[in-house]
Amino acid sequence: MTGKEVWTRARDRLRSFPRLVAACAEEASAYGRCVVANTQGSKDLRKDTCAKEFQALKSCFTLNAKKAR
Amino acid sequence: MSGFPCRLRYLAGLHEGRLHLLLPLNRTLGSGPPPIPPCSGSTATLRPCSSRAGSAMNIFDRKMKRRQKNWASSIPGSERYDYLKEEVGSRIVDRVFDIVRTFPVALDIGCGKGHIAEHLNKDTVQKLFQVDIAENVLKHPVETEIPTYRILADEEFLPFKENTFDLVLSSLSLHWVNDLPRAFKLINYSLKPDGVFIGAMMGGETLYELRCSLQLAELEREGGFAPHISPFTAVTDLGNLLEQAGFNMLTVDIDEIVVNYPGIFEVMEDLRGMGESNCAWSRKPLLHRDTMLAAAAIYKEMYGNDDGSVPATFQILYMIGWKPHESQAKPAQRGSATLSIGDLGKMSELITKKNKEF
Repeated sequence: MTGKEVWTRARDRLRSFPRLVAACAEEASAYGRCVVANTQGSKDLRKDTCAKEFQALKSCFTLNAKKAR
Repeated sequence: MSGFPCRLRYLAGLHEGRLHLLLPLNRTLGSGPPPIPPCSGSTATLRPCSSRAGSAMNIFDRKMKRRQKNWASSIPGSERYDYLKEEVGSRIVDRVFDIVRTFPVALDIGCGKGHIAEHLNKDTVQKLFQVDIAENVLKHPVETEIPTYRILADEEFLPFKENTFDLVLSSLSLHWVNDLPRAFKLINYSLKPDGVFIGAMMGGETLYELRCSLQLAELEREGGFAPHISPFTAVTDLGNLLEQAGFNMLTVDIDEIVVNYPGIFEVMEDLRGMGESNCAWSRKPLLHRDTMLAAAAIYKEMYGNDDGSVPATFQILYMIGWKPHESQAKPAQRGSATLSIGDLGKMSELITKKNKEF
């Protein structure tokens, strides 16, 4: 992680995040609802509790990112 | 830092401010805190505020904070991140104006670009000393009509003699101070008798939406979580600290400013631009992209408004403390009562009896 270019490239990629997240609103909402549901009552939120929903969100996200490039 | 279309950023009004009058007795405060969101554990990470003398805490990396503040004030267009500090500065000045007095010499601790000085006028304060830890910030002051003297100093090591100032102000900078008891003691030391200290700092419920979203996202994605929001002082601790520092006639009130943003990334960007990035030693330097994505989704789902924006709460604690002086009101002497509490039931009788006597 030497040199400034790594950070500049990372920051540039980060700038497109909000737009890409907004484009996947449905998957994001489904993931959010899964997480919230697992925090109510006696449910336990653990690693990968909502892995399926997150994978759907991530694939939508990477798809949009590829399209934008 | 340009290029984001239609940024929604407006102050969505404030929740009713609650006034807590703190006396040196064990009094339970009024209505409870705002509803706790479904996060694990208790509410915010509260700073351990020890009341033992000589206990120094090292929570924040002050060098890092200085670098962050320097960076934040040197980026082009840094004025657009000033909205929160300006608003809190104007509310502090409102409290100054409420006190019917002129203050020949005043001190502004952690002044930033001088958002307090912006709103003050010559009739209230004749000379203002501004202190901040970051030199860039002192070089770009906001316009003001009173003569100011800018000093580069740390809030924990104020270089002033005893009984120097009539008024000490501090807006949104004490929540980054490591040794808060010492800072308050130094403020008290530098005040003249019958001088007043008016300050504002972030309270425990600040950015709870961001904190919860990151916490849940990290828990789900990585299996554990680290604190990303810095710890804040609790209201009750604040009263104790001020009292131990030697202040009299304390008043602490809580105010909430809710600002709406398009999403979690804009919240974080604005916090960086304000110079309020985390500098606690315990912070995690990296945030994985997956976690950020998860946090964005959770934030919107849990706290999103109908129009698609997300709120961020800033809970501000305003405190007013006076340095003791003989002219100040003191509790009445024991045995000087003329009525007993048991007479309250016969109040109407007593009033008519008194009226008949006239």
